[in-house]
Amino acid sequence: MGEITVDVRDLSKQYGNFKAVDNISFTVKKGEIFGLLGPNGAGKTTTIKLLTTLSPPTSGQAFVAGYDIIKQQKEVKRNIGWVSAEIILDDDLNAWENLGLQAALQGITNWEESADTLLKYFELAEFKYKNVGKFSTGMRKKLEIAMALLNSPEVIFMDEPTIGLDVGTRKMLWDLILLIKNEYKVTVFLTTHYMDEADQLCDRIAIISHGKIIALGSPSELKQKAGGYAVSLEVNDGFDISSLKQFHILENDKNKILIEISSKDNMLDVLKSINLEKLKSINLITPSLDSVFLKLTGSTIKETEEAVDYRKFYSMVRRNTQ
Amino acid sequence: MIKETWALFIREVKKTFRNKAVVAMMVVQPIMWLVFFGSSFSHVPSSFLSSFFNTTNYIAFLLPGELAASMIFVGMFSSMSMIQDKRFGFLKRILVTKAPKESIFFGKVFGASTRGLLSIPIMMLVSLAFGVVFHWNILSLVVWILGLLLLGVGMASIYSIITMRSNDWQTPGVVSNLINLPLMFSSTALFPSTIFPGWMRDISSVNPLSFAAGLGRSFVLNTPPNFLFLLYLVIFCFLFLGIGAFLSREWLKAE
Ligand SMILES: Nc1ncnc2c1ncn2[C@@H]1O[C@H](COP(=O)(O)OP(=O)(O)OP(=O)(O)O)[C@@H](O)[C@H]1O
Ligand SMILES: [Mg+2]
Repeated sequence: MGEITVDVRDLSKQYGNFKAVDNISFTVKKGEIFGLLGPNGAGKTTTIKLLTTLSPPTSGQAFVAGYDIIKQQKEVKRNIGWVSAEIILDDDLNAWENLGLQAALQGITNWEESADTLLKYFELAEFKYKNVGKFSTGMRKKLEIAMALLNSPEVIFMDEPTIGLDVGTRKMLWDLILLIKNEYKVTVFLTTHYMDEADQLCDRIAIISHGKIIALGSPSELKQKAGGYAVSLEVNDGFDISSLKQFHILENDKNKILIEISSKDNMLDVLKSINLEKLKSINLITPSLDSVFLKLTGSTIKETEEAVDYRKFYSMVRRNTQ
Repeated sequence: MIKETWALFIREVKKTFRNKAVVAMMVVQPIMWLVFFGSSFSHVPSSFLSSFFNTTNYIAFLLPGELAASMIFVGMFSSMSMIQDKRFGFLKRILVTKAPKESIFFGKVFGASTRGLLSIPIMMLVSLAFGVVFHWNILSLVVWILGLLLLGVGMASIYSIITMRSNDWQTPGVVSNLINLPLMFSSTALFPSTIFPGWMRDISSVNPLSFAAGLGRSFVLNTPPNFLFLLYLVIFCFLFLGIGAFLSREWLKAE
């Protein structure tokens, strides 16, 4: 296991004066699922663009499958697979033709057998000669992944693989990603802004915010770091905040208050010390990546969640105009 | 490089010929040219036609010119296809593979040129229907078709170069309005240059359209083909093909 597949050293990407990726460093071990977790605009896609050689870094270095992303682009490309956030396929061609084109572009000669196996694995075999334009979003995503695996890559980069998918398809895709790791022994580098996805799928997670990596570790390590439980209160006007002075207040915004507590039972202490007349609602927050994120950045990733539906809508519109 | 270019070329061809509207347009448009424009000289005395166009059937004169003109319009398709690939992200998909960037440029250029070649048999058949008589000199025919292909590849290269750094849907249309009409009217495609003012005759004498049209007239009027015309088109084609290949390495980017 100890081998390193992706080695990132002080990598930065600047657009004008704006630092989209700000001096990040990390390593991805061979055979693991590594997640880059962060809200919209954090720099996830930019990081993938740098590592897949689509965009040159402003400074820093990175090695993918042992090759330099600046000096050995061809070798990097030969050894990676890439699945974009927006699905990119040629809708005028069928699944087999899309695979064939990918094989030709990657210079693979005996691709037919592995393509057939992949289609079978991904339950797409019966749609082999169907025009991709008529595929469902889930099928399109699967085909893209099959295309990314065609050249037997060392590492596959997946940018928000489950964005815009329904719950069932998401689950199916998670299983698929685990299959890629376990059966194909391919290292997976994925980005996501879904906490549960990162939690369930990834062996290790880097949390990225405003272009910087602010935490890195296994999901359980990160949760431990975030420490205890929290209580969120919604209160009416006139609530006496000083009644909470014995607690550590994390957030106090309008009538929403967030308090850190050391164990579940401390929720009762909170209840005992406040005027219940002024209380609208109370919620126990158990340690999760959400609370990790909250603690590290002072805001929840959910605040950006609304944007997700726009993106889903956008990707649908794009498909229909293709 | 050759394999990647071939794969991308086949993709272009498939996309073109699977689109029924595009195929219908490719067939109908040249016919319209010959029917409407070609008929505009029907009632001109034949003595005038033969002194002016060297033939009694204006369509016989127009056919080579119209085919040459249709080859400059294929340039627009190559740049439209390029813009579409940028807009839908497909260019990124190609750029993540190890395929050389030149092959992307070549695929577009050859794909569009092939689309232009389709109008050759169609236009010839329509001309026959309009009473044009061919003498079927095979050498002249081959030289003519080669000339048209070179013209198409050269024009498609110019178009692709101009739009390589753009991802605006409007660019191909703007460019084509800017260069197609002047090119067409300052050539011998539609009228002989003997009636042009001096400055236009000068343009016409270096206009690649004139050379392709000239090769076509050798076939239609059964005179020996001028190989200098072909040489000129070879130079024109490979010059811009080379420039485009060179620039694609720098200019084709994901963002
Ligand atoms: N080509 C570009 N030019 C200028 N700014 C850019 C460019 N690409 C990205 N950015 C900026 O860099 C920041 C990071 O963008 P990036 O796409 O990497 O975010 P992300 O984490 O992938 O977000 P999302 O979840 O929305 O996909 C954003 O603020 C974005 O506006
Ligand atoms: Mg993104």
